[in-house]
Amino acid sequence: MIVEALTRRMNAHPTDSHTMERYLETGGYEAARGAITKTRDELVETVKESGVIGRGGAGFPAGLKWSFLAPARPAYLVVNGDESEPGTFKDRQLLERDPHAMVEGIIIAAVANEVHHAFVYIRGEYPKPARRVQQAVADAYAKGFLGKGIFGGDYDLDVTVHLGAGAYICGEETALLNSLEGRRGEPRLKPPYFPAAKGLYMAPTIVNNVETISNLPYIFGEGVDWYKGLGHEVDTGTFLMSISGHVNKPGNYEVVHGITWRELIYGVAGGIRDGKELKAWVPGGASAPWFVPEEHLDLPITKDETGKQGSMLGSGAVIVMDEDTDMVAAAERLVRFFAEESCGQCTPCREGTTWLDLILQRVLHGGGREQDIDLLMDVSDNISVGLGWPPKQTTICPLGPSAVSATLSLVKHFRHEVEEHIGRGTPVTISGVSS
Amino acid sequence: MVTITIDGTEVQVPAGELLIKAAEDSGTYIPRFCWHRRMNPVGMCRMCLVEVEGPRGIMLTPSCTMPVNDGMVVHTKSPTVEKAQEGVLEFLLLNHPLDCPVCDKGGECPLQDQTLSHGPGESRMVEEKRHYEKPIPISDLVLLDRERCILCARCVRFSEEISGDPLIEFMDRGNAAEVNTFPDEPFASYFSGNTVQICPVGALTASAYRFRARPWDLREVASVNPLTTTGDGVTVQASQNEVLRFLGVDNDATNHGWLDDRSRFGFEWIASPDRLATPLAKSGDGHTEVSWGEALGAAAENLSAVIEAHGPGAVAAIGGARGTNEDAYALASFMRSSVGSPNLDARLDDGLGTHLLSSLAGKGEIGDLETARTVLVWAADLKEEHPVLYLRVRRAAQELGATLITVHPTATGLADRATHTVTYRPGEGHDLLDRLRAGSGDLADVRAALDEGPVVAIVGRTGLAEDPALAEAVTAFARDLPQASVLPVVRRANTYGAIDMGVAPDLLPGRVAAGGDAGHTGWEKADTSVGLDTRGILEAAADGRVKALLLVGADPLRDVPDADLAARALDAVDVVISIDCFLTDSTAKADIVLPALGFTEKEGTVTNLEGRVMKVNRIVSGPGQARADWSIIDDLAARMGRPLGFESAEAISLAIAEHAPAYGGITWFLLDWKERDGVVAPRDGVEQPLQYIPTTSLRAVGSGGAKRGGFALHLGRLLYDDAVLTRQGASIADLAPGAYAVLNPTDADRIGANGHVEVDGHRLPLRRDASLAEGTVAVPFNQPDGPPLGGSSHVDVAPGAGA
Amino acid sequence: MSWSEESLQRADDILARYPEKRSAVMPLLYVAMREDGYLTDDGMRQVAELTGVTPAQVQSTASFYNMYKREPVGKYLVSMCTSISCFLMGADDVLHAIEDEAGIPAGEADDEIGVEHAECIGACGGAPACLVNYELIEGLTPDKAKELVAWLRSAKPDVINADEMQALFGGKTSFDWGIREERGAVGPFPAFGPFGTADVNTDALEPGRST
Repeated sequence: MIVEALTRRMNAHPTDSHTMERYLETGGYEAARGAITKTRDELVETVKESGVIGRGGAGFPAGLKWSFLAPARPAYLVVNGDESEPGTFKDRQLLERDPHAMVEGIIIAAVANEVHHAFVYIRGEYPKPARRVQQAVADAYAKGFLGKGIFGGDYDLDVTVHLGAGAYICGEETALLNSLEGRRGEPRLKPPYFPAAKGLYMAPTIVNNVETISNLPYIFGEGVDWYKGLGHEVDTGTFLMSISGHVNKPGNYEVVHGITWRELIYGVAGGIRDGKELKAWVPGGASAPWFVPEEHLDLPITKDETGKQGSMLGSGAVIVMDEDTDMVAAAERLVRFFAEESCGQCTPCREGTTWLDLILQRVLHGGGREQDIDLLMDVSDNISVGLGWPPKQTTICPLGPSAVSATLSLVKHFRHEVEEHIGRGTPVTISGVSS
Repeated sequence: MVTITIDGTEVQVPAGELLIKAAEDSGTYIPRFCWHRRMNPVGMCRMCLVEVEGPRGIMLTPSCTMPVNDGMVVHTKSPTVEKAQEGVLEFLLLNHPLDCPVCDKGGECPLQDQTLSHGPGESRMVEEKRHYEKPIPISDLVLLDRERCILCARCVRFSEEISGDPLIEFMDRGNAAEVNTFPDEPFASYFSGNTVQICPVGALTASAYRFRARPWDLREVASVNPLTTTGDGVTVQASQNEVLRFLGVDNDATNHGWLDDRSRFGFEWIASPDRLATPLAKSGDGHTEVSWGEALGAAAENLSAVIEAHGPGAVAAIGGARGTNEDAYALASFMRSSVGSPNLDARLDDGLGTHLLSSLAGKGEIGDLETARTVLVWAADLKEEHPVLYLRVRRAAQELGATLITVHPTATGLADRATHTVTYRPGEGHDLLDRLRAGSGDLADVRAALDEGPVVAIVGRTGLAEDPALAEAVTAFARDLPQASVLPVVRRANTYGAIDMGVAPDLLPGRVAAGGDAGHTGWEKADTSVGLDTRGILEAAADGRVKALLLVGADPLRDVPDADLAARALDAVDVVISIDCFLTDSTAKADIVLPALGFTEKEGTVTNLEGRVMKVNRIVSGPGQARADWSIIDDLAARMGRPLGFESAEAISLAIAEHAPAYGGITWFLLDWKERDGVVAPRDGVEQPLQYIPTTSLRAVGSGGAKRGGFALHLGRLLYDDAVLTRQGASIADLAPGAYAVLNPTDADRIGANGHVEVDGHRLPLRRDASLAEGTVAVPFNQPDGPPLGGSSHVDVAPGAGA
Repeated sequence: MSWSEESLQRADDILARYPEKRSAVMPLLYVAMREDGYLTDDGMRQVAELTGVTPAQVQSTASFYNMYKREPVGKYLVSMCTSISCFLMGADDVLHAIEDEAGIPAGEADDEIGVEHAECIGACGGAPACLVNYELIEGLTPDKAKELVAWLRSAKPDVINADEMQALFGGKTSFDWGIREERGAVGPFPAFGPFGTADVNTDALEPGRST
């Protein structure tokens, strides 16, 4: 179930997998050295063939994304290292433990897309990963792998490492571009601001996740066939999944898709702690609707199957909750996150996520009323019309509907727990509860 | 055009237009708060969500960001849409204070209106609303109530996109997001009032209007901004015979709905207690109130006596630019026909040649900026003198991608959007022009840009110490640029209209050159020769050739650059008769003062810098016995035994349409009912007698006087100065910054100046500006307690004592 | 210009890393925090001047992000994660322990210590976890958290080093951290060499751009 590709080097060399010396010693930068001799079309075609899908959450095929890049130049490459989705900590490990894989991936991606200035946007709470990446970038400059005439050729490539400052929404690619321009990290309208056409400084821009980019040296180093052979027939390659919550062995695991949730939670992650029962889990980051054992435990982990079941694999973060979990409290904690992280730009998200949180807090604190369940559903409906999947949003970006995921999951699977909270409390009509 | 289906009805709309606008223009109003037709869409409020049928099924999408395409099927009233809109409205109201009874916006509030038609009856939120300190002043003119704010960002976007002074911004994030300014850095924009007007709730209110009226108690008329020459459309609102508010009207041709703050809040002079309400006659050091009969009788007698003793040429008139075209026509008729003197001028020695202003062959329009590839501004700082034109040029450069070139002694308000900022020392403009024409040296790029048409050139005097002949030469150069369109600009209100009506020494009504064969069919007998301009009149007055001065809304002591000359002239003449709204420094010296109606108190037409004739209207009665200029002049003429026979302003307008060639066919009826944005004279099919073509070789020595000192003087105006109408408007009176001197830091260091300098002996606070050409001192004109420097083109600058 | 020569030099280096000046607003705000200990109005004015935008625009950006602190937050900012994974593993109790030991409710600070709850810090595999000056400690318990606060008060470290704290007060980590890292934070802002907010001479990290 567990495979080693992305994690091979760091597992084998726990003390120095992040150094230039070890990276070179284990075959590093050979893929990039080879890539710069190829044509752009060859490179893009290889990535398309590999079937690698974006690892940031949306799961869009990376090669296809590249092929959409508008012809105008300059163009930019931005690596999205703003990993902030609750439950997700995989990019942190890649940045800290194997930064050169990403730097090498940047070189390949840059050459493939005729980019001469790449940015790595790392969330502000990750100074240590940022330091490691900056060191790797500096070392790559020193070796002549970055800068003027990389690898002794005539291709120039600069890399700037940019630190965020605490805003989940900057993980959304257009918000990230605003942030990189020194503005508020508010998502842009799509249309017209698709990064491939009007991205950073209104120039064509590719935004790829750290893990996506880190896959490139393996795809180009070991070959497309090797890469496709590793994984599931559709979701090719390996995936880093972050497992947290009430499991015996939380952590990042490199897996191939197609295994079941049971295999992941009870096998890979060692089962539920203290022998407790599994109550529910979030299958793909805090934005994803919950799964419950009676319906989903034996389903295979694939992008399509998870989608069919009304959720998503997203950033690959699995948050496991055991039988003792107060699901109203868990939902409130998830909704609070989105309320706090809403950018405030569009009305339904700014007002709606906070309102949902206030209602859930009131229910938790004993102020729940009978009509609150209907109210939760209706407010949710006004953010995510029809409450379907994928969400039909009234908002600019998917953040608002993300708060709906948890609310809806709560009412759908654990309505009785909400009713219990309401029944236990003293109903009030006026409340001073605030965030 | 494409065909789309809105709620089951097929309509034809322009391809690529935003759905919200296409729907509105074809009769379907989609509710909105953040969208504004003059700003880029942001899709933030989500009120305008509609359903659009597409290849992937029916999509809920904001109509403000969705361009139409052929065959699009749109549902604006489906159950899903109505549910979504009601949801958005409920969200907006969650934290709204609902303090409508004490809100200025109540009664004209989109949020209130939407709630009435789409909103929930009661709130389902039992939690406490957000609270903020109410309201906080964010500038001298604007207050902010963050509780009422619905975060549509119209104000923020206006300040970034339109006016270019992003001082009001979103602060914080998410549910705590608010609009605010930086601590100790107020929203000191010349355009802040626009944000009050476009705020869809009562979050931004104007201190001038706060708690003054309920919208349903206001009466209103459409009119034209009286304080600029751009012809900005305004709505004037009044209650109980008092003007309370100006709103910008979205005139496609001119202001796009925007107004500068001086124009928006400057109306308070209308109700000033200092307004003249009764005729006055000189009595000792002061004046005494007299009847109209006594005043006009004395005036007629005095003027007749001067004509009798010294000939009609001894009578001269200055002013007329503050009134209507009808007033101006009456004045021109009075001077040239009743008196028989050609000595009259609406300019106050601060303008350009009248032929250039009125009759330039192939003159451009403001709208040409929409299609310009290159814009050349060689004129006054537009931000200070022509605020709306400034916005239109900004738009051309920022939103429409034109290359912008400014030429001025210093960087101007457009500097942040200018591709090329060319500076030069005043007095060396002709040399610069020669080098620009040749494209030599560092001007090669600028020259290359000017070869990319269409070119719009805005040309004027960069400062009052500058030779007006330079603008003629620049115009001659600019006319030859590819697909060129030239706009010669001056600032003073209805100067263009007054000149077109013949209040000029070298023009007869309707753009006919004086001194030629053509006379004027409206006058039985008249002196149609070329007379004296304002400078000539003042000089003639000072040395005794002109004996009687008629001042019509003119304050030469303040407004003529050479204040010393004006003072000598006023002291020397025998008779001064003034028609004015206020007792100004100059009218205080008048023998007879005749109280005039002002803007909003009379009906008529005005003409903007394009030559666009527009209608102004009356909404309040004037103070006391004040009368319209034309009526005063008509009465005066009759009492002098030389009647003009004007019966009403409208009758005069008909005379203009008949006798002023370039104004042929332009009637009040046309302007009131057909051409609400005005018409550019001459109308199609009407011939303009004078087609003026300036020549580059003209290098007359300008009105700037002797070269006295070592520094070239740049005498520019600021938006807020010490002019009487500004002084009399309570809200804006204190906004003039006061006089100061600007030096290039190199010069300041060279002469060892720090803190203050002495400019021709006048002590002024020193400002440093590296963009100012070296060897130049810049001093704003007519600031409170400012020095009279307008008599010379060069001055002495010395370090100020006690710096 | 109230900044030190070093910070102004740093600002020039940062500005050179971006095609447009405004992009330097965020990194420069960290330099401003290092100058004053938190983000002052003067700091924002300085950033505005360096990047050619208005102070209001700088504040608009700064106030969007959690990590630009516009009030003093002490010398050590303890950011306790209370998002879902940490919450499931008892983060609220750890936060209360920190508040009790520090004598400061979340959201407030004294001269020495600031306490805040934070949203997910990407340490879910080592939950519950917190940051001190953005340096990480994973696998906390209420007791260890109290010891951490007491240590901050008594040891008063000049440099906050994650490995040191993890060894003293941490437990389970999200993954093997690998080799010990010597660098650390000198104030309540992320220690990142290029911005001059780390404790070490950062010259070695300069080639982030071609010269």
